[in-house]
Amino acid sequence: MNPAHENLLTFLARQTVSAATPLILAGIGELVSELAGVIDIGIEGLMLTGCIAAYTIAGATGHGSLGLATAILAGMAVAALFAATTISGRADQIVSGTALNLLALGLSGTIWSLYQNWRGNHDLSTALPHGAGYSRLAVGALARLPFFGPVFFDQYSLFYATVLLAAMVWGIIRFTRMGLILRALGDSPQACQACGIAVRTWRWLAVLFAGGCAGAAGAYLSIMRTHAFATDMTGGQGFVVLALVIFGRWSMGGLILGCLFFGAINSLQQTLQTARYTSHYAALHALQSVPFEVFQMLPYVAALAALAVLSRNHPGPHRLGRPWPEEISL
Amino acid sequence: MMTTFHSSSPLRRHAGRFSRLISAVALLPLTIGTCGLALGLVLSGLALAGYPPLAIVSRWVDGSIGGIYPLTNSLADACPLLLTGLAAGIAFRGGVLNIGAQGQFLLGAMVTVGLSTRWLIFHSAPPVIILAILAGTFAGGLWALLASVLERYRSVPIVLSTILLNFVALYVVRAILQGPLQAGGTPAPQSPQIAPAYWLPVFIPFTSFHLGIPIAFVLAVLFYALNQRTTFGFESLVIGLNPGAARLAGIRVTRKQFLVMFMSGCCAGLGGALQVLGVTHFMTGSFGNYGYAGIAVALLGRLNPLGIAGAALFFGMLDTGALRVEESSLALPHAVVNVVKAVVILLMLLLSAYLLGRKLRTRQVDPSPPGDRGSDKL
Repeated sequence: MNPAHENLLTFLARQTVSAATPLILAGIGELVSELAGVIDIGIEGLMLTGCIAAYTIAGATGHGSLGLATAILAGMAVAALFAATTISGRADQIVSGTALNLLALGLSGTIWSLYQNWRGNHDLSTALPHGAGYSRLAVGALARLPFFGPVFFDQYSLFYATVLLAAMVWGIIRFTRMGLILRALGDSPQACQACGIAVRTWRWLAVLFAGGCAGAAGAYLSIMRTHAFATDMTGGQGFVVLALVIFGRWSMGGLILGCLFFGAINSLQQTLQTARYTSHYAALHALQSVPFEVFQMLPYVAALAALAVLSRNHPGPHRLGRPWPEEISL
Repeated sequence: MMTTFHSSSPLRRHAGRFSRLISAVALLPLTIGTCGLALGLVLSGLALAGYPPLAIVSRWVDGSIGGIYPLTNSLADACPLLLTGLAAGIAFRGGVLNIGAQGQFLLGAMVTVGLSTRWLIFHSAPPVIILAILAGTFAGGLWALLASVLERYRSVPIVLSTILLNFVALYVVRAILQGPLQAGGTPAPQSPQIAPAYWLPVFIPFTSFHLGIPIAFVLAVLFYALNQRTTFGFESLVIGLNPGAARLAGIRVTRKQFLVMFMSGCCAGLGGALQVLGVTHFMTGSFGNYGYAGIAVALLGRLNPLGIAGAALFFGMLDTGALRVEESSLALPHAVVNVVKAVVILLMLLLSAYLLGRKLRTRQVDPSPPGDRGSDKL
C-alpha cells in the first residue's frame, strides 16, 4: 500500500472504512446482545481472542479462512463461558465481563508465547507467513470508480460480509417476529416468559452471536488489516464499541455512523503517525508539533465527549444488565 | 432533591447489583477451594501443553515464599494490589462501578514521580516524600471524581467513563513522560530516577520491604473498621445493596457515592505513589496492570478489606513465583498468571451462583394458591 498514489482524501476515506469495519462487526454483535438485555463488557477480550486464534491458526496452517473460522468459534467459546456465568448462573454481567477481559489477555499472551516457542525462536517477526493472511478483494469494474472504488469496493472480504450482516440484522430487528422477541427480551423478559418464550435460551443465542461477531472482528485486525499480532493489539477498541452502541442509541444506523466517525479519527491518527516519518502529505506537517499521544488519546476523549453530550435520557433496553429471573431473596 | 435521580440510564437502574456478593461474605472455605481449583485447572492445562506440573509448583513456591528475598518481593508486589483492590472493593460495596483503578493508579504514580524528581526539591527529604505521596493520592481521587461528575451531570455510566478514562490517563501519562518529565538521553517515555534520599525507607537492607507495605495493610484494617463500626460504612453498604431503599431512608445517595468514588480513587493513587517511591523509583510508559488486577483481588476478597488483604497476598505470591518459573529452564510465559486470576474470578462467580441458585430453585417450586389455578379456564 503506497499512499503516494492516492490523493489524501481518498486515502483517508479508505482507511476510515477499513478502521471502522471491525468496530461495526463487533458492534452488531454487542447491539444484538444488549437488545436482549445482556451487556458484554468482555467484548474487548472476545476480540483479542479472535485476534490470537486467527493469527496462530492462519500462521500454522497457512490458510486464512481456517484462521477466520477458528476465530469465530473461539469467540463463541469464550462467550459461552460468559453466558454460563451471567445467564445460567445469574452472576453480575459487568464483573464477569471484566474477568473475561483478564482471561483473554492472559490466554492470548500465553498462546502467543507457546506459538513462538513452537516456531522455534523468540525474536520471530510478528508478521504472518506470506500468503497466510487475506489480501484485498476488488469487486470487478466497480473498484475502478473514482473515489468510491478504492473506498468501498477494494476492501477485505470481511468488509462486504459486514455490510451484508448489518443489513440483515437491521432487517431482522426491524421487521421480523425474531427481532420483536429480541427487543422484548431486553425490555420486558417477564412478558416474554408469559408468551412462552424461553428467555435464557434466547439470551444465550444472542450472546453466542455477539461472541462470533467479536471473534471475526478480531480476525479482521490480525489476519486482514495488519497481518501481525501484538500483545493487547485491540488496545481498547472493544470498549469504544461499547460506548458507540450507547452513542448510536441502540440503533443500527446510529451505530454505523458512530463507527465511521471513530474510524475517521483513528485513520487520521495513524496517517499522522506515518506522516511524521515520511514526506507525504505536506498538509499534515503543520500538525506535527502536537505531541503524538494527543492523537492516540483522541478516540477515547471523543467517545467520552459523545457520551456526555448524547447520553442524557437515551432510550436503552429497559432491563439491560439484569439477570433473569430478576429477584431472589436471600 | 428527587429530580437528581435519573431513571433514564439503564446502567443506573440496578438495585444492589452486588447484594449477592456482599451477602455471601462468610464463605472462606469456598474462596480457598476456588483458588485451589483454579490453580489445579491451569496446571492440568499446562500439563497438557507439555509442562511438568510438579516442577512448576516447586519453582513457584520457591520463588514466592522460599527465603527472605522472595518473601519480601511477594509482599512488595501485594502492596499495590492491595491498594487497587481496596479501591475496587470500597467502590463496589458502595454500589459505584469504578473500573478505573488503572488510570487512577497511573496518575498517582506520575504526579509522585514528577514532584519527587523535578517539581519539588527541598533539602530535607521527609516533607518531599509526604507531599509527593499526598499529591499522588489526591490526583487519583480527583481523576475518579471526574467520572462521578460525568455521571451526575451528564448521565454517562460510570462503568464506561472509567474504562475510557483509563486510556485517556495512559496517554496523558505517556505524553508527560515524553515531554516535561522525560529523562535525559533517551527517546523513550521514561522519567528520571528518583534520588535515593527520597526513596521510602526499607526495613531490611537490600530487600524491597519498604514503608509502604505496612501503610497499605494498616489502611486495610482501617477500612475494615470504617465499614463495620461507622455510620458511613453502614450507609455505603445500604446504598450498595439497594440505592432506592437508601434514598427513601434519607441517605444522601449521590453525595455519599461521590465520597466513595473519591476514596476509591485515592486508594488507587496511593498505590501508584507507593509503588514509585518504594519499588521502581522511576516510571516508564507501561507501568504494570495493577489496576485491572485490583478488581480480581477485590472480588476474591469478597469486598471485605481484610479478605482483600489476603487476596492481594495470594496474587502477589502468584506474580512473584511466576517470575521465577519464567526465568527457569521451564520458560513458562508470565501471562499464565493472568489466566489463573481470571479463572479464579469466573469459578468464584460460577460456584457462588450455583450455591445460591439452589436456594432460588427451592423457592420457585412454592405452590401458588389453589384459587389461581383455574382462573385461566374462563
